[in-house]
Amino acid sequence: MAKLIFVFLTLIPILCNSFTPEKTSDRRILVLLDDFAVKSSHSLFFKSLQSRGFDLDFKLADDPKIALQRYGQYLYDALVLFSPTIERFGGSIDAAAILDFVDSGHDLIVAADNNASDLIREIATECGVDFDEDTSAVVVDHSGYAVSATEGDHTLIASDDFIKSDVILGSKKIEAPVLFQGIGHSLNPSNSLVLKVLSASPTAFSANPKSKLTSPPSLLGSSISLVSVIQARNNARILISGSLSVFSNRFFNSGVQKAGSPTKHDKSGNEQFFTELSKWVLHERGHLKAVNVQHHKVGETNEPSIYRINDDLEYSVEIYEWSGKSWEPYVADDVQVQFYMMSPYVLKTLSNDKKGRFFTSFKVPDVYGVFQFKVEYDRLGYTSLSLSKQIPVRPFRHNEYERFIPAAYPYYGAAFSMMAGFFVFSAVHLYNK
Amino acid sequence: MATILAKFLLLLFTISICNAVTIPTPISDSHRSAALQLFHGSSSSLEETYEALRVFEILALENKPDVSAATCQNVVENLGSSSSLKDLFYALKVNGILKCKVDRAVFQGTASRLKATVNDASTLVDIYYTIGSLVLIKDQAPNVDMLLADADGTFHSIKALSQSDGRWRYSSDNPESSTYAAGLALEALAGVISLASSEIDQSRVNTVKSDILKLFDSIQKYDDGTFYFDEKFGGGREHQGSLSTTSSVVRGVTSFAAVTSGKIDLPGDKVLGLAKFFLGIGVPGSAKDFFNQVESLALLESKRVPIPLVLSLPATVYSLSKKDQLKVTVNTVLGSAAPPLTVKLVRAFHTDAKGSAVIEGKELQYDQSRGLHVLSVFPDNVDVGTYVFVFEIVLHDSGSENDYAIGGQIHVPIYVTGIVKVSNAEIAVLDSDLGSDETQKTLDLAGTDVVSLSANHLQKSRFSFQLTTPHGRAFKPRQVLLKLRHETKYEHIFVVRNTGKKFEIILDFLGLVDKFYYLSGRYDFELTVGDAVMENSFLRPLGHLELDLPEAPEKAARLPPLPVDPYSRYGPKAEIGHLFRAPEKRPPQNVSLAFLILTLLPFIGFLVGLLRLGVNFKNFPSSAVPATYAILFQLGVAAVLLLYVLFWLKLDLFTTLKALGFLGAFLLFVGHRILSHLASTSAKLKSA
Repeated sequence: MAKLIFVFLTLIPILCNSFTPEKTSDRRILVLLDDFAVKSSHSLFFKSLQSRGFDLDFKLADDPKIALQRYGQYLYDALVLFSPTIERFGGSIDAAAILDFVDSGHDLIVAADNNASDLIREIATECGVDFDEDTSAVVVDHSGYAVSATEGDHTLIASDDFIKSDVILGSKKIEAPVLFQGIGHSLNPSNSLVLKVLSASPTAFSANPKSKLTSPPSLLGSSISLVSVIQARNNARILISGSLSVFSNRFFNSGVQKAGSPTKHDKSGNEQFFTELSKWVLHERGHLKAVNVQHHKVGETNEPSIYRINDDLEYSVEIYEWSGKSWEPYVADDVQVQFYMMSPYVLKTLSNDKKGRFFTSFKVPDVYGVFQFKVEYDRLGYTSLSLSKQIPVRPFRHNEYERFIPAAYPYYGAAFSMMAGFFVFSAVHLYNK
Repeated sequence: MATILAKFLLLLFTISICNAVTIPTPISDSHRSAALQLFHGSSSSLEETYEALRVFEILALENKPDVSAATCQNVVENLGSSSSLKDLFYALKVNGILKCKVDRAVFQGTASRLKATVNDASTLVDIYYTIGSLVLIKDQAPNVDMLLADADGTFHSIKALSQSDGRWRYSSDNPESSTYAAGLALEALAGVISLASSEIDQSRVNTVKSDILKLFDSIQKYDDGTFYFDEKFGGGREHQGSLSTTSSVVRGVTSFAAVTSGKIDLPGDKVLGLAKFFLGIGVPGSAKDFFNQVESLALLESKRVPIPLVLSLPATVYSLSKKDQLKVTVNTVLGSAAPPLTVKLVRAFHTDAKGSAVIEGKELQYDQSRGLHVLSVFPDNVDVGTYVFVFEIVLHDSGSENDYAIGGQIHVPIYVTGIVKVSNAEIAVLDSDLGSDETQKTLDLAGTDVVSLSANHLQKSRFSFQLTTPHGRAFKPRQVLLKLRHETKYEHIFVVRNTGKKFEIILDFLGLVDKFYYLSGRYDFELTVGDAVMENSFLRPLGHLELDLPEAPEKAARLPPLPVDPYSRYGPKAEIGHLFRAPEKRPPQNVSLAFLILTLLPFIGFLVGLLRLGVNFKNFPSSAVPATYAILFQLGVAAVLLLYVLFWLKLDLFTTLKALGFLGAFLLFVGHRILSHLASTSAKLKSA
């Protein structure tokens, strides 16, 4: 019995591993499906994840045995919901459990579809993404559809309106449009964390393709988002797509020609788009860490505990980006440091040496008080860096002021000649006869 | 659970795989290239090797990877040793395709070993592998004695596991019944029949046939006529998906049909439905699914059951402007040619007018060279729109009708597209409903010209245009939207309605001021016209309107927040430098030096004055002790003054005060001494 307990105890750390970029092995993803057929029909997407070292655990969404956590530890680092019609998850999972999962810093990929269930819609709404409330509506685009001999209703859209961000979509330009067939969503304008990655064209609208439009559609034009991502404040990342079939082998392998465009691409942009996007969502790109924050006076190397006003100081920080395998030096020319007390007194862009070290030097303002070195780095697609280091600044001490001021020489001269005169006068007065 | 699963499947296949058109196309080149990708590398197990080889065989792939040498060695090893039943089974299956050189003695040995165990096998899976292996040996080494002595007994022991609903149990001590197991059992039974030394009792065979029919009663169905088998959830055993379940049943039924003489009365529509199910999956991504799909389709085509014929259309979107032809192909599921037949277009009707057919009873011409059935020209009464064409397959040889499953009437949605003429576009600002037409402007919507107008809240704006189909009829597109975009990027959408050919919208600004949030300024007009059957759908800016609206009353609704451009939210901020306090203004050094000299002048004057007065030091004490005190006193005073100089040069206040304290005490003492001495000498002098 004791042996059994021992074995169990040694297993606990193995079972309860959670994602840290430092630990590349054991990145486990739970994939919840409506049907196991998706595993086969979407195998290219899953294979690309597996080939990047992820351990996929396929489960039916209504499997009563599924669980995200055990003994308070999360069993997975990311969750893929490819179960658009699920009304109730099996096991202990519900919308709140999934949001808790995200709140604890884990990643989520959600694919909705026509007939997306209320549960999936609820999860999306909690993430700041509102799917069209009309359950029969799909995105239709009569000008930006994908030319197809068998799809006449223009619900198969070829969209090439991507977010302009190399970190989210990779540095290689996506040449071919992305095929999309599904429902559209809008983003909550007050939510600053959610980003439209793939937008519909200005001619698109969201409505039931079988009926004529009698009232203006609720979602229209390029405000329709087809695929969105969210980066939460805890750097958890979420991908929400209005279509499950965009991940399918059929779309990955299908050729695409956008209506009105003469070029026919042999392969749609879906594979590149979603592979790159999944790299971002699963923190293989755009995850920054800052280490080794240093500051000191010019010409010194030790960090002082206090600065005097008008000191010249040097500030440096090292920033690295996670590449999926290792921490690579981050190169950018827009990292800024603030010298901050209630408001920034100095805001300076840091230079970098292409090896990850960012540095600058500046003069401490002639205001004393408790300052902070602040690096608030929020860039599209990158995890946000927020560093602050407190440092007091004192005024000049009494003996640090200037002593020999040329303009005051007349005063010195007057005083000292007076003193000399006093000495002479005292001697004369005492000893003169 | 099964119904939920069925719903999922329905959704999956209708939406993500088959899309709007639910006619599956036969196996084509995309399958072949996918097969080469899926089954490229070396397979780890014989089962996978067999699946790969079988797929290559069915699809008749030319440039398949050659693995025979290594695989044959593996096969021989497995046959010789006492490997597991499953490995043996698949080794034989691989051998059936590769035809490796295996000694007859090896077969003989294996066969006798298997025959010995056939009656001991308790589970269905074991029996399946044993019987299956024996059948394979029989095929590969015909001269080996394979016949089962106690075929009846074996038959009975398998049949004993069957359930009343046509499904089977895996073993006698497991009450769970399974559709997948039914497929295995049927295949095993077929093996037993072919291995039997004496004829199996026909009545037993007939009960199995009725079991098959019962099994087909439990078949699942989609609305579009697709049939499949599904496994109910069972504990313990690995869950089989509907694809592997269906293909197991197909394998069992076809092999059973092959060995029995009488017919199994399978309805043609169900066979066709099964074929639709397999084709509906498209190109599966996993090797196992691919194998199941392709092998089942090959078995359906193997003439043991009615051969399903698939009617498919290379295109369901036809353009009137390009004068496309309606083409129909009829193939078997694996894409080979169908027997001579005629495709009849029974009926075609517009989706909005189901009652009135536009085409009725037309035979399609067969184009021998391309293997297509063609309707060369669309009749004139087919205008742009969405239609449903109803096809029927008529076999030329009426006797072979039972050999083929052709299904009944096939409904196919067809989109007929064309270029819609846009004309008579006018935009005007009216003072009243009737209004003067002074500001009326015409627009050529095909061009790019724009108009600029101005209006106030008491006026109205009217916009109208006409749409006509290529056949001159009124056309009502699905999407006719007029968009007004204010300078603030806030958009208002209006649906333009039609009466006949004419589309018209009147914007009464008085009624719209609230909706416009009382925002005056420039509004851009944008018109979107689009429809699935309209080839020239467009989004076009029409121009702009300077609108003068009254001031907003206090209670008016505020403009809702507009989405913020994400790019502006990020990016570096402007640099901030601290403004240091400016140093005080000081005179130039020369001026200071000049004033320094000036301040020294009085002292020099004082010294000169003293000299002129003729000062002397005759009063200096002459005796030693007072003289010492006088010197010390003067030195003390000088030291204090020097201390002041040092204080200026380098010392701080505390050191200075400390030194001053000592000096002061010293000075007090010597000062008192010398002053009292001087005072007494002067008193003596006065009294004297």
